[in-house]
Amino acid sequence: MRDRAGPASSAVTVAEPERPQFDAIVVGAGPAGSAAALELARAGNSVALLERGPFPGAKNVYGGVVYGRILDELIPGWYDEMPVQRWITRRQTMLLDGERSMTVDFRSQNWGRAPYNGATTYRAEFDDWLAGHAQKAGAVLVPSTVATRLLCTERGRVVGVRTDRPDGDLTAKVVIACDGVNSFLAKQAGLFPGDQAEHTTLGVKETLALPARTIDERFGVSGHEGVDIEMLGCTQGIPGGGFLYTNYDTLSVGLVLGLKGLAKAGKRPEEVLAELKRHPSIQPLVRGAELVEYSAHLIPEGGYDTMPQLVGDGLLVAGDAAAMCLAAGIWLEGVNFAMGSGMYAGRAASKALTSGDLGDLRAYRTLLESSFVLADHKKLRKAPELVLSERVQQRYPGLVCDLVEGMFTVENPRPKPGVRKLLRASAKRNGVKMRELARDALTGLRSFG
Amino acid sequence: MAESLMPLIVALLRWTDARARIDPLSGEVETDPRGAGPSEADRCALEHALRIAEAAGGRCAAVTLAPEPAEEMLRDALACGADAVLRVDVPSWDSRVPDSGATTARALAHAIRTELGEPSLVLTGDHSADRGTGSTPAFLAAELGCAQALGLVELSYADGELLALRRLDRGRRERLAVPLPAVCSVEPAGVRLRRAALPSTLAARRAEIPVVAGAVAAEPVTAHAARPFRPRAKELPPPPEADPRLRLLRLTGAHEHREPPRVVVTDDPAEAADELLEYLRGKGYL
Ligand SMILES: Cc1cc2nc3c(=O)[nH]c(=O)nc-3n(C[C@H](O)[C@H](O)[C@H](O)COP(=O)(O)OP(=O)(O)OC[C@H]3O[C@@H](n4cnc5c(N)ncnc54)[C@H](O)[C@@H]3O)c2cc1C
Repeated sequence: MRDRAGPASSAVTVAEPERPQFDAIVVGAGPAGSAAALELARAGNSVALLERGPFPGAKNVYGGVVYGRILDELIPGWYDEMPVQRWITRRQTMLLDGERSMTVDFRSQNWGRAPYNGATTYRAEFDDWLAGHAQKAGAVLVPSTVATRLLCTERGRVVGVRTDRPDGDLTAKVVIACDGVNSFLAKQAGLFPGDQAEHTTLGVKETLALPARTIDERFGVSGHEGVDIEMLGCTQGIPGGGFLYTNYDTLSVGLVLGLKGLAKAGKRPEEVLAELKRHPSIQPLVRGAELVEYSAHLIPEGGYDTMPQLVGDGLLVAGDAAAMCLAAGIWLEGVNFAMGSGMYAGRAASKALTSGDLGDLRAYRTLLESSFVLADHKKLRKAPELVLSERVQQRYPGLVCDLVEGMFTVENPRPKPGVRKLLRASAKRNGVKMRELARDALTGLRSFG
Repeated sequence: MAESLMPLIVALLRWTDARARIDPLSGEVETDPRGAGPSEADRCALEHALRIAEAAGGRCAAVTLAPEPAEEMLRDALACGADAVLRVDVPSWDSRVPDSGATTARALAHAIRTELGEPSLVLTGDHSADRGTGSTPAFLAAELGCAQALGLVELSYADGELLALRRLDRGRRERLAVPLPAVCSVEPAGVRLRRAALPSTLAARRAEIPVVAGAVAAEPVTAHAARPFRPRAKELPPPPEADPRLRLLRLTGAHEHREPPRVVVTDDPAEAADELLEYLRGKGYL
């Protein structure tokens, strides 16, 4: 019977291979895996890059924006060759409450010029492109192949993986698990402390086709400029958030929903999404669009405090497999963290392979700590909890909308109310104590500041 | 009848994107080379080719007429156990260019003969997923001057004999002993392409894929102008009846005399052909 990866699968004990087939095996050709394979192959190591999909990106789902700055180090001039839909020149953060919304809208034409900032891109194109670089550097891509188990020596050192192909054991000196969220390999190695469901959200997304000209007009952009909208208060009380991104001639609109909250609410994610699309601030943007794809995927949202051990004996974990997706309300960044961690994993593995001392794999953590990957996560470690808290999710959008509505509703002949008075009234109406507001503001300041 | 030694068994694989998108307004077909590969029927053809080559102690080759991205498909064939592969290059690939199958068959026959040798058996899927005419194998048989057995649901080789089962109308089956050399096309049924082992998959990733230029290129059709379909307006006078009900009835054509469709029930091919000819004559086609 074909071997399968799954929560019940466990590592296989094997004898220490005399001559490993590869210097390194990278499992998963997502952004983390391809970056790791590229770094390793460039340093002259033999690398197998295993991917379960028929091609890199075939199975991958995300919202739509990649921040490619870290690619300056990996692929200089990346922006001239990366498959881009639109360059983000407008960013909005939108708070929704009932039929109301409050949006902070920022535009910078600088982001539409080299060296650029973020871009929408399709994962099938982006992942394939990045894996192509790893292949050109010498990595051997093995598609349609699932790594089902780790191969470990009796002493627990990881020496390879078993795949779902006949005669499918593959050995290497180092294995890098970049198999994405809910990594069975990291779990098999015992690197995860416990249940991850609490810290995992479900992302659902619709891709909606519209003519490029219509997108330009509706979103106030032109050519290859694009818009990124992040939303709060659009999940019907389920902890989470929403997003809407412009591709060239499609839109990505979706939600991120806390798994436990979703189960408790007893709602289907597509129903919550349909409700979002009916909101008066969103409906005119998506009107008349043709649904071309519906997809769903898990996101590790817990941040720093929920990460597994990153280094095992002969094993490194990177990207979503190591819960490195940064989901902190106004930010939803996973691909850049995956590429960054993958690159550093590749670098640390290369060092260990050169020195012949697997203890050098520990440099991985140091590299991550001295870079944005763990620095950002550490700084924002309280942010996921704050953003997914009941007050931020259910009370603050209403509070802000009440406040702004109060400020801009003209009630002549009554004179305009003062902001302080309005704030107090809005807080009271939404069940927020001023003490809590001050505390959350402080936590927010500490996390984001 | 059959040669007992079958030196060359060829599986022809057509490279298509089975999930091509069609723009509902312009009719434009959008394909993605990343998702393209052989159809299910072609995969069955390859499996048959591998089994027959094993049984007959012959060589199995996988051949395609396709652009460079199709080499992934040939790598998969190598990984599954094909002894050789060949890509016949096409100068400008556009799967929408009309082709009766004759041009493709000519190019393939030429490439197989010159690069691989005279084949004992050529296997293909019964219909391509994108064109669906199923005519290429027939043209190929004519081109190679050999027998043909098309639309098979079973195929086996034992003791130098190639036996096939073909689907007929009304659930019937036809058992054939196929003389060699032959071209056979198979339905996506009965067998499943084996899953390649890891060592052969790794070896195939690094293999060089031989390429030959397509000797005969499909004649491209150039569109000089593309306009939306706007049939000319036809003047339709209203029915003459004064009564609105009768006018409506007239418009529906409910009272017009019509010949009901006839079901021809005969198993005798000669009788069926006579029926058909009679019908065509009656309609003024002959
Ligand atoms: C709805 C949604 C919206 C998002 N929006 C954004 C966004 O806008 N911007 C952003 O930066 N991030 C976003 N993210 C997060 C981002 O997608 C991830 O953080 C990122 O993809 C992680 O990259 P990775 O390489 O670690 O894992 P993945 O991209 O998940 O790649 C893992 C790869 O491993 C393969 N694989 C898994 N298991 C095996 C196995 N056993 N054997 C072989 N191969 C295997 C998979 O097929 C896959 O190719 C979003 C995520 C979701 C779900």
